[in-house]
Amino acid sequence: MTGEQPALALRGLAKRFDSKVAVAGVDLDVPAGSFYGLLGPNGAGKTTTLSMAVGLLRPDAGSATVLGHDVWADPVRAKQLLGVMPDGVRLFDRLSGAELLAYHGLLRGMDPAVVDRRAAELLDVLALGDAGRTMVVDYSAGMKKKIGLACALLHGPRLLVLDEPFEAVDPVSGALIRDILQRYVTGGGTVVFSSHVMEVVERLCTHVAILAAGVIKRVGTLTEVRGDRSLEQVFVEVVGGRTATGEELAWLSQ
Amino acid sequence: MAVAVNEPVAAVRPVPARHFVRLKLRVLGNNFRGQKWRVAMFVTGVLFGLWFAAIGFVLFALPGLADEPTYALLVAAFGGGLVVLGWVLLPLVFFGVDETLDPARFALLPLPRRSLVTGLFAAALVSVPAFAGLLALSGLVVTAGVIGGWSAAVVQAVGVVAGVLLCVAAARAMTSAFASMLRSRRVRDLAAVLLAVLAALLGPLQLLGVAAIQDADWDRLVPVAEVIGWTPFGAPWTAGIDLAEGRTWAAPVKLLVTAVTIVALLAWWSRSLESAMLGAVSSGPASTTKATAGGPVAQLFPGAARWLRRDRFGALVARETRYWWRDARRRANLITLAVIGLFVPAMVNFGGSGFTIDEQGISVTEGSSPVVVSLSMLFVGVLAAVTLANQFGFDGSAYAANIVAGVPGQVELRARMTAFSLYVLPLVVFVSLALTVVLGEPGWLGLSAGTLLATYGAGLAVNSYLSVLGAYDLPETSNPFAMNSGAGVARSFLTLLSMVVSAVAALPMVLAAALLGDVWLWLAFPVGAAYGVGAALLGAYLAGDVLDRRQPELLTTVTPNR
Repeated sequence: MTGEQPALALRGLAKRFDSKVAVAGVDLDVPAGSFYGLLGPNGAGKTTTLSMAVGLLRPDAGSATVLGHDVWADPVRAKQLLGVMPDGVRLFDRLSGAELLAYHGLLRGMDPAVVDRRAAELLDVLALGDAGRTMVVDYSAGMKKKIGLACALLHGPRLLVLDEPFEAVDPVSGALIRDILQRYVTGGGTVVFSSHVMEVVERLCTHVAILAAGVIKRVGTLTEVRGDRSLEQVFVEVVGGRTATGEELAWLSQ
Repeated sequence: MAVAVNEPVAAVRPVPARHFVRLKLRVLGNNFRGQKWRVAMFVTGVLFGLWFAAIGFVLFALPGLADEPTYALLVAAFGGGLVVLGWVLLPLVFFGVDETLDPARFALLPLPRRSLVTGLFAAALVSVPAFAGLLALSGLVVTAGVIGGWSAAVVQAVGVVAGVLLCVAAARAMTSAFASMLRSRRVRDLAAVLLAVLAALLGPLQLLGVAAIQDADWDRLVPVAEVIGWTPFGAPWTAGIDLAEGRTWAAPVKLLVTAVTIVALLAWWSRSLESAMLGAVSSGPASTTKATAGGPVAQLFPGAARWLRRDRFGALVARETRYWWRDARRRANLITLAVIGLFVPAMVNFGGSGFTIDEQGISVTEGSSPVVVSLSMLFVGVLAAVTLANQFGFDGSAYAANIVAGVPGQVELRARMTAFSLYVLPLVVFVSLALTVVLGEPGWLGLSAGTLLATYGAGLAVNSYLSVLGAYDLPETSNPFAMNSGAGVARSFLTLLSMVVSAVAALPMVLAAALLGDVWLWLAFPVGAAYGVGAALLGAYLAGDVLDRRQPELLTTVTPNR
């Protein structure tokens, strides 16, 4: 790891769908070894930004670089360094957990023996071994997140990009995922993940960026962004939320 | 509970069917917004619908226009019967049904089943094929009017409208019922039903074919037409004609037969709807049969793919092979392919020119020839390959995994071809063997297998292009026959186009069979196999290049909008 080179660098990424601008020029530098939280309300463009950063969605403008390798110009090298868990994307869910891991490992060109060893270990650590031959489509939401994470980790990437890893996950699985990610960062890896759960971000992240309406509103280390307030206060202020007055929806209470 | 909602809305107002129709139109309209190519596809579809409707109209009106009342009943019973049959079978085999309004989305609404079914039915009627069918069959009104005057025309008009209702109801009921059969993995039942239906058709179709070929006595067919006229297949179309020909009592009875059939079909549909609404999420019981020993990699590779290297290509083939069986939508395609692949060669080679009609009745003669064998194999090969026309659509957004892993396009396409061929090649061998053995011409084995391989290979090449450039998203519903809204007609057109191109690419095999004589019987297999493999590899090579440049765009097109 070269200390200077960012693990992920986004420059002027932009995307519009029909007439709606989803992402309007995002610049972001994710330092190597950081635990980076991308915050934003629903529809802020988090998923669009991350999809463009990992090569799943072609940007209208801008570039994405993974440890010095352009995702769109030099995809082979960039994708080797990347582990990705997209959100709202199906897995090949008509395979069992073990089959899915084997598939991902071989797809990455790994040695079958290594795939077998790591897959068994991951299934064991993530408590998915009991599921046996159950197909992933029949997994619970939390189990699906865990197997998705396992698929992203299997080939030992330098950079993990996770879209909403804690959504719809129960506290036990959530704690497990947090543990694994923390260990991964301690071991020299870099994690970028999107979320709108403030507690998790505050607990885990070294760096934070707040995205709203397709633009980065705040960016920096956690302490820089947060100042002496709570992250939630900053977030609501930046995004511009509406507070209830108590007048509306009167029919809900009697 | 502390929060008590005042009171549930007291009287639920009934939901009229027109709400469903308006909802469908709105969804269709929103789909077109800002999507020029979708509008263009739709317009193309409408134009083709009108074109076929016009041809149909003329055909059905012909007995009246030419003032040949003798043929009126024949045209109405056989022609109309074929239309009903098409509505029943084509959605299962090729096109699927437009499921703009997915029944599962209504599961939470407090709708009585009756209004749900009538509503969905009304919405289903608003479609290009239904209007085209109505237009085409209106030709019968002209016929009835010319022969029997105004009263006959009015009765026939009622019959035609009811008949189109029957067609749509039949299509919905069949696909829905088959879908729930597939979900419960009663695959053998499904295949058996399909085979039985097709086999039942064999007789009438052959009679018709023989009569057409030999220009024989059309009057012989009149009793058959009369019988069909009393079944739901012919009843709606012959009511007015009966009136015109003086069988006044028959008309109301036939309309009644039609009405009862429609109600029965709707009731059947309503029953399988229930399971579609509840079972939208699960894919069926998980297979927990054997706890296979061996590591994850060993588990991924099914028996048929054991011989593969444990690398990227092998993993892709293994996953595809598993998917062809585990994914209900793909399984449906495989089953129809197997059934049609067995049925069509049998029908063409043992029927067609094989029957003669003389004074003693019907007798069988040897009627097949190398050209006929080649042609029937051409059809099977084309049909097999067109199954892959939307291969990425089957995967949906799961295809993202392959992009993230950076799979080269050529490897991807070659692996998909290989996996599908693991299912198709045994079928090829079986069909060729069975055909030549039953025909008593074992020498033709090379010919039929060679032609089939050549067509299949050429078709694979054509369809890899189509699957990259013309992919579309399939709805994530439990109905494997469901299509997405709107563009159904245009999609079918694209499929037909690819079948024609594949057939043309393999036509040299048929020409050779016609021109070269006995030498070809020996050459057909090596030449056909080489041609097929070569074409498929070339297709994967060229289309793979396109795929490399279009991976993210392809993912966007196959990801269902939610």
